[in-house]
Amino acid sequence: MAGCYFIGAGLHTTLGNGVEANLAALEGSFTPPPRATARYAGREQQLPYRTLRDVPLPGDDAAAEQLRLDAVLDATIGAALEQAQLSNDERARTGLFVGTSSFDIGVSEAEYREALLVDAAALPLDRQPSASLGQFALRMRARHGLRGPDFSFNTACTASANALLHADAMVRSGRLRHALVVGVECFNAITALGFQGLQLLSPDNMKPFDPARNGLVLGEACAALVLGPEARRGSFFLRGGANLCDTHSMSAANPDGSTVALVMQRALRSAGLEPRDITALKTHGTASLLNDEAEAAGMHQLFEALPPVCALKPWLGHTLGACGLNELVLFCAAAKRGFLIGTPGIAAQSDLGIELNQQSLDLPAGNFMLNYFGFGGNNTSLVVVAA
Amino acid sequence: MSAQIYACGNCYLPATEPAADLKVLVKETTGEAVRRIGRFIQLALIGAGRCAQGATVPADTAVYFASGRGDFETTLEVMATLFRDGGTPKPLSFVNTVSNAACYYVARSLRLQSRSNFVCNRNLAFESVLQLALMDVETHAATSALVGSVDAVTTPLAEYRQRLHLAADTPLAEGSHWLWIGPARDDRPRIGEVTAMEYFGDAPMLSAWIAARRLDAHDCAFATGQFIDAGDARTLADTAGLSGFFDYRDGRGYYDSQSGAAIADFLAGSGHTQLLHVNADATGGFGVMLVTR
Repeated sequence: MAGCYFIGAGLHTTLGNGVEANLAALEGSFTPPPRATARYAGREQQLPYRTLRDVPLPGDDAAAEQLRLDAVLDATIGAALEQAQLSNDERARTGLFVGTSSFDIGVSEAEYREALLVDAAALPLDRQPSASLGQFALRMRARHGLRGPDFSFNTACTASANALLHADAMVRSGRLRHALVVGVECFNAITALGFQGLQLLSPDNMKPFDPARNGLVLGEACAALVLGPEARRGSFFLRGGANLCDTHSMSAANPDGSTVALVMQRALRSAGLEPRDITALKTHGTASLLNDEAEAAGMHQLFEALPPVCALKPWLGHTLGACGLNELVLFCAAAKRGFLIGTPGIAAQSDLGIELNQQSLDLPAGNFMLNYFGFGGNNTSLVVVAA
Repeated sequence: MSAQIYACGNCYLPATEPAADLKVLVKETTGEAVRRIGRFIQLALIGAGRCAQGATVPADTAVYFASGRGDFETTLEVMATLFRDGGTPKPLSFVNTVSNAACYYVARSLRLQSRSNFVCNRNLAFESVLQLALMDVETHAATSALVGSVDAVTTPLAEYRQRLHLAADTPLAEGSHWLWIGPARDDRPRIGEVTAMEYFGDAPMLSAWIAARRLDAHDCAFATGQFIDAGDARTLADTAGLSGFFDYRDGRGYYDSQSGAAIADFLAGSGHTQLLHVNADATGGFGVMLVTR
């Protein structure tokens, strides 16, 4: 089996464009979630949403929506590929692994809104080229000269974590020399209003594991990671990981924590580690009542003594299918600098027994666990370590 | 990269208007009336259920599920309700827009608790998940795998054709095709073997791979997927030295993931012992499956 290391990364979130800008923003304090406008049938609704920094939402224009999405993806993927320093031939053979829950549905929404203005009987998803989830990856391949296979993972909040698991396996097993993993989620009305309909949105900052938790704030993000066999000093790599289906409920993990504990246990087993070997843990932490309970119960089942625990969604918002990758890229960048990201004032004391790290904490080198739990009972746990 | 095929299951339905009611088929297959699910999930349950019938699929079996278009029906309903009618998404409809909702229902129906992934690819939907499943079986990330693809139509069919940019007289169909695969085991009967599933970025790479296989023209049939150019297909058949053409697509209505039917149809009705199946994507790449009876 070949090695497989993270050799290039790009990151654009609500905190900033670029890994350095994201790290710098962590020195500031939380700001209340801004509002984004969901437009539908001549109506508008303002909803809390952590949109991408420095890239305003385009309003009601499909062409501008597509341009914005392309620009964000191009810059983020470009940064990752540049850092990876692949030759043209290596880039051409690179496989693409996309994780997203919404693809380019924001563009489809804008096109449909525009079409309805002209023709009240216009059809949704009547696009050029024809509407297909896989078209999104083909567009990325064409724009970046990628001629390897493409796989688009659509497993809700675990999508880009699952994309990473399989990309890693493809490189390790020698089927691909390099893989590009992309996690992306951009604002769209269906997601914003769908979560509002589920009564899962908070009007305030997210407070995972806090007694005052009252739901999530959605966020936009785009992250890209190049995987390859070339070990570089300080490069992180995936030491292990697991993905399991929890059939307790479509929209919540089993509250007894058993399925959460099991997926973490499997991830540890695949990494050849015991719970005591984990130096720090990044929770999924959606600040919803049931999922935080399930996640907390799972952690208590597995760990006799919890390692330092952090949550990144108070900073980034819940970026759904993209969170698997952007939270990993940000976590690893901070760990490389030697600190664990803090969330001041959130879950300093927890009714669930999960006290989050409050201030930036010196973090030694070690094995780090990152957890993700999604709709459709899709649970994924990753273990990373620096080379 | 290879795996044994323990079982296969299919549901192929020429599209009708109104669309055939699938509730009875779902109940026949799963033994229960699964409520509040759309056609896409119903087809997944029927295909996967037929694949598992007569066997006890172990709980640690993973699900790899693919589609060319995904759950169009649910997405269209949510979009029309929101943007045309001004109604916000109903919670259940919104949750079911997540494509892996179908994986959840399949896993719940068959009491599976292993890996579960929904993966899409524009032209090589079935081939993509088969490739991932084979890798996971070979690397022991999965002990066995249910691999399937589903594409469903929406009505009116004229609108569906318009949306897919198909000619007005194109026959349409729905397909749900599943394989249960895993390593060779003495206690598990097998009906065939997937001996390769590879992707190649261009025709010369594919031709070199085929030539190196030295396939026996008497034993091996050649089949093409729906997205390959006819000229490319002839060249590849010549390269492989194969003249026995296995046409599983003859008379089949249009749906995106037809490749899913190739293996099951071959195992059920060809005089050959081996099948080479080649399909193409829009970038000039190829997906190739090699199957042995």
